[in-house]
Amino acid sequence: MTRFVLGRLAWMLAILLAVSFIAFAMMRALPGDFAIAAAGSQSVAPEVLAAIRQDLGLDRPLLAQYWGWLGHALLGDLGTSFVTRQPVRAELFDRLAVTFQLTLLAAIISMVMGVATGLAAARMRGAIDWIVRLYNGVMLAVPNYVVATLIVLLFGLYFPQISIFGYTPFLEDPLANIGSLLLPALALALAVSVTISENTRAAVLEVANQDFVMVARAKGLPPGRILRDYLVRNALTPVITATGLKIAALLGGSILVETIFAIPGMGQYLFDSINSRDYPVIQAIVLTAAAIVVVVNTMIDIAYARVDARVQL
Amino acid sequence: MKPPSFPMIAPEPEMAEELSRRSLLRLVLASGAMALSPAIMTGEAAAEAPVSGGTLTIGADADPIGLDPVTLTAFSSYDFTSLIYTGLLRWTAQMKIEPDLALSYDQPDPKTYVFRLRQGVKFHNGQDFTANDVKHTFDRILSPASGSRLRAFYSSIEAVTVIDPYTVKFQLNATDAAFLSNLATSPNGAIVPAGVENLNTQPVGTGPFAFEAYQPNLQFSLTAHAGYYEKGQPHLSRVVFKFYKDQATLTSALRSRAIDMTWLKDPKVAAAIARTSPNLVSAPGQTSRTFPVWLNMKAKPLNDVRVRRALSLATDRKACLDTILGGSGKIGAMIPESQVGGYDGTGELPYYKHDPAAAKALLAEAGYPDGIDLGNYIIVAANPLDVACAQILQQQWQVAGITVKLMPMETAPLLTMWNTGTWPTLLSVALSWTPDSDATLQYIKSDSATGKGTGSNDAELDRMILEARAELDLGLRAAKNMAIQRHIADQAYIIQVYQYPLRWEIWWNYVRDYVPIAANIRSFVRTAWLKK
Repeated sequence: MTRFVLGRLAWMLAILLAVSFIAFAMMRALPGDFAIAAAGSQSVAPEVLAAIRQDLGLDRPLLAQYWGWLGHALLGDLGTSFVTRQPVRAELFDRLAVTFQLTLLAAIISMVMGVATGLAAARMRGAIDWIVRLYNGVMLAVPNYVVATLIVLLFGLYFPQISIFGYTPFLEDPLANIGSLLLPALALALAVSVTISENTRAAVLEVANQDFVMVARAKGLPPGRILRDYLVRNALTPVITATGLKIAALLGGSILVETIFAIPGMGQYLFDSINSRDYPVIQAIVLTAAAIVVVVNTMIDIAYARVDARVQL
Repeated sequence: MKPPSFPMIAPEPEMAEELSRRSLLRLVLASGAMALSPAIMTGEAAAEAPVSGGTLTIGADADPIGLDPVTLTAFSSYDFTSLIYTGLLRWTAQMKIEPDLALSYDQPDPKTYVFRLRQGVKFHNGQDFTANDVKHTFDRILSPASGSRLRAFYSSIEAVTVIDPYTVKFQLNATDAAFLSNLATSPNGAIVPAGVENLNTQPVGTGPFAFEAYQPNLQFSLTAHAGYYEKGQPHLSRVVFKFYKDQATLTSALRSRAIDMTWLKDPKVAAAIARTSPNLVSAPGQTSRTFPVWLNMKAKPLNDVRVRRALSLATDRKACLDTILGGSGKIGAMIPESQVGGYDGTGELPYYKHDPAAAKALLAEAGYPDGIDLGNYIIVAANPLDVACAQILQQQWQVAGITVKLMPMETAPLLTMWNTGTWPTLLSVALSWTPDSDATLQYIKSDSATGKGTGSNDAELDRMILEARAELDLGLRAAKNMAIQRHIADQAYIIQVYQYPLRWEIWWNYVRDYVPIAANIRSFVRTAWLKK
């Protein structure tokens, strides 16, 4: 087990190093830089653009820039944002906290909805199964930004007195904070819950036809115990994988939903930083998002080892 | 009291006399506050006394990038710096120049300006404002080490001298009609305090509002500057900007009164929202920018004036204006109407009459009897107005035998092409507001970055532009600017389609005494108050 975990950690670091370099190279390969993006269509003399680039160190050779960045990053210094001139680490932490809250809320909503509807469909079949599957099919086809835009427009038109716009920090007002995240979390959760629901349904149906369940039934075990100890435990393995990956993706930030609801999370941060070519921020976000996905994947692997009796370490 | 009447009146010819050479502008401070209230300026008597206090919440679609007026280059910062800093002069709602931190100025000769400054003005940090700060500001701007974008605007300044703590002299090396316009513009003329560092993150100015806090992407807040020099102003105790990057969310936030005012990018959306409630005030403001098609004239086929003229003749500007802006704008020439000698959208200009047959004939004469393929027409993908207009232009040109392929592009790479002159044939990017017609004309002058990019190479045009900048009489300058625009249209160096306000401002009518101005900043938040 220790060897397995250590091997996974080494692999994780290698992936992160590769990701940081690829992100760096890709951003520099894109035409346009911060100086150009900030000036917009105003007339700015080439020497002014050059002065801005020199000030930010963008005139140095690319590899030197990357080594400089890596050296600082390894010491935990992610640099300063070109746009806000604030340390990236502090900004990133704030954004991550917001996205984490949003994701947590979305995860809870989607798990409850997904597992409940999936189980109901698999166990009751008939009309309930049919309705759940129809709903899942429709929701799967509707992207979350459409749901988000519809929510914004509906509230703007029919409930203008309810202010749903803008984010309230947790420390300012915890209740208002959760309130301000509820609708965006719902917009995110709907699509995820559909996947969870489908996975749960399929997994439970598959496991229910296995021999060991039939044996359990033949032994005369009560249905509740069969559901808990035989069905759910075995069916959950693939569900955990799918849910983990979905939630890891959410942690990287949902650009569209965050932009629509004006939530200052990771997604919006990434979108803005790419538009303004704020290299230190892009670099930090890509690295963080990659780290989250890699860490969650590793955790899923380890969780497999615990949940799935077939994995022996 | 009714909200100030709209639309705004255009600059009047009288302003020519008002600021003519050797004019002496005097402002009696005692009556200053009243004389400057926008109600008076729009010809209405104030029936209601302003109420003090309250927070004005403004919806903004972009964060600032830096708050030091000397070094910032981003247009999005002006919204914030214009409330924090003030300058020697400022624009009135009618885009006339009036004194601000200066009490008056004297012009002993065409190249010398002597400003008398207000006394008792305090910066937000409590520091006294004196002539030293003025000198400090311009020394910073003119020092190459600062890398200030403003250095090019103030290239005519030879020296700034402190005569006494409240008198400062600007010595120019040439007569410069753009000088006062730049001084009146925020942030170009904003005065920064001597001896204060880190203005980008901790701005300190003399403006009506002082910086309070900034949470990127969330909000930017300002508090009333208790030591502000205009009596009784500002009325508001706080101004809070909230950021909404999505236009649909911005309009929903306005409807739900999560914000009190905002500006929108699309006139049709602004009109539609204003229709939903009679309590919303929608004021387009004066036209302040143009939507042009930039031509690469460095190579065939656009180095041939006949092809360019054909393109101009094939363009139905009126159709674009009506379809895209719903008539909420004017046909464009090089200079927008709100500037000296700006085109009013009605006068006859060469090759402006839509005539596809004449365009075809010109193309045939140029050696393209079967029409011409101009390749990629590059446009800003993120700007729906630009994309929609380009689609119409594509169809119009096709009728005259000119084929283009639309190529919407991300903004940063497009700007790189525009700045370096590396676009293949046609490119559109709307121009930002500039403080003076000269700054607008620089875009096409042969020695500017964009001029070089287009391949502009007309000594006669360059001479006309220099002459217009040196003309201090506004009436004569307007005539010269008009001649320049006629020349540009005749040679079709650029295809200007329409002119329009940069943004369409809209606010709830409980916000009183607010007036939008063409300078694309919210100067009149200083006179605004809330009747709730």
